[in-house]
Amino acid sequence: MKDWFKSEDWWATWIGLFVFGLSLAALGGVDLLGWGIDTRVWSSLDQATAPIATAEAYSNKDLPPDFICLYKSLPGIISLSLTYVFLLLVLSVGAWALGLNVPRFAGSLTVIFWASYLCWLVGNYVYIAATPNRRPPGVTWSLGLTGEAGFIVALLAGLVIGNFAPGMAVRLSEATRPEWYIKTAIVILGGFLGVQAIGDTRLTQAILFRGFAAILEAYLIYWALVYFIARRFFRFSREWAAPLASGISICGVSAAIATGAAIRARPIVPVMVSSLVVIFSVVELLFLPFLAQAILPDDPMVAAAWMGLAVKTDGAAVASGAITQGLFQNQSSGPNWMLMTTTTVKVFIDVFIGIWAFVLALVWVYGINKKEGQHVPAADIWQRFPKFVIGYFLTFLVVFGLALAFRASPERLATLRVATTGSNVFRVLFFVMTFFTIGLVSNFKKLWQEGIGRLAAVYVVSLFGFVIWIGLAISWLFFHGMRPS
Amino acid sequence: MAPEIGDELQRIPDEPLLPIEKKLILVSLVLGASLLGVLWWVSVTYFNVTPPE
Repeated sequence: MKDWFKSEDWWATWIGLFVFGLSLAALGGVDLLGWGIDTRVWSSLDQATAPIATAEAYSNKDLPPDFICLYKSLPGIISLSLTYVFLLLVLSVGAWALGLNVPRFAGSLTVIFWASYLCWLVGNYVYIAATPNRRPPGVTWSLGLTGEAGFIVALLAGLVIGNFAPGMAVRLSEATRPEWYIKTAIVILGGFLGVQAIGDTRLTQAILFRGFAAILEAYLIYWALVYFIARRFFRFSREWAAPLASGISICGVSAAIATGAAIRARPIVPVMVSSLVVIFSVVELLFLPFLAQAILPDDPMVAAAWMGLAVKTDGAAVASGAITQGLFQNQSSGPNWMLMTTTTVKVFIDVFIGIWAFVLALVWVYGINKKEGQHVPAADIWQRFPKFVIGYFLTFLVVFGLALAFRASPERLATLRVATTGSNVFRVLFFVMTFFTIGLVSNFKKLWQEGIGRLAAVYVVSLFGFVIWIGLAISWLFFHGMRPS
Repeated sequence: MAPEIGDELQRIPDEPLLPIEKKLILVSLVLGASLLGVLWWVSVTYFNVTPPE
């Protein structure tokens, strides 16, 4: 029972479910999250921020007349401050339970929150964000990157600090927790996608099955190839090759750590592999979405699945899905279907980490390091299972189930949309903080100084030699031609 | 810390591929290749969402 409150994984689940639970109060006619900050594409700063209660979902004519929303007239700065205080309190409780230094955490989080939000704001500037069809009068050009450009701005800002002001990055380290933030975001995202899924249940089923099929393929093919190359051509020992194969081919940090534990590697091995994974995921994040847009202009779902299969770490993968959906925003397919596809693929990958680590543990204990009396308990699968995945499926299924039940009642469906819109504010903020903190931990110079060129060589050969391209082929095979209405 | 990791990588022992490792690689690849066909068929047969041409 204690474990339920002692890991970052569990606390991502609890916080995500807490925000989700608050949002569901809307179903009872009371909006508890309408004060959250909503950021719009802006040309003058006074248009940039407003409470989410002013968003379209809250003005739906189908909402019941007695629906209570008190926050529409809040000034943007108050809404933003309330959002900050809420996140500070909730995350500090988690930090306390995780045994972190709470005052230090709160200080670091404050800097991370405001810096991340500033980046998000910059990314929403009209000349950066506005798509050609949404340019306001007087604006004759814009990059058309949508507000998701804020993610890239946050990543670049984090990278600048991480590489040119490493002292500051160290001072922020207590709250530099990209995996925690993205896992929390993914739990909240489940509900947001659940209401989207009702629009096309056949497509939802197809994404779930095809996502599962795609990752099963990727696991079996990627891992074996990377392991073989690392062992045969780069002469790595088994202790290095297995975590490296999992890190490069499957899911980055979590997979490298789970594999390291499964084969009883020394802690230095998964730690080094993880550092490398984070660096390369940043590189992927910066170019793969744009490559996807260039080579798959008519296949947005293939592009989305590709991000889930090719980009390592939860943060970078789901984040690249968000950027990709921004780049494809003018496509006929609803952009949220793309985010659902990337997230589903990524979440299934996470589910399989535990199973694959278990398989490797069996091979190592009963085959490679065979010793009398040693055994691998099946409970290891549960121990290595990423718990936030439960939160994701729970919020997805609850909202999807409610949406199915409310299908005949526009009033209740409208309140459900308000609920998911309110919680989505926090999902976006967790995303932005993920990008910023990924940048903070990506110290290219330090990694180079540590002399891990040989590891990096395997990574480059595998990632750019076949992982990305096999991922593209598998995505194309399972998602080509999917055109949601 | 820097030299330690560099040294660590220099010290990696040369371990030839064991038969069980070869088997793991082979089984994984063969299973992956065969399932590719099966899962693709299930996808297009039972989870087809491509609009008709």
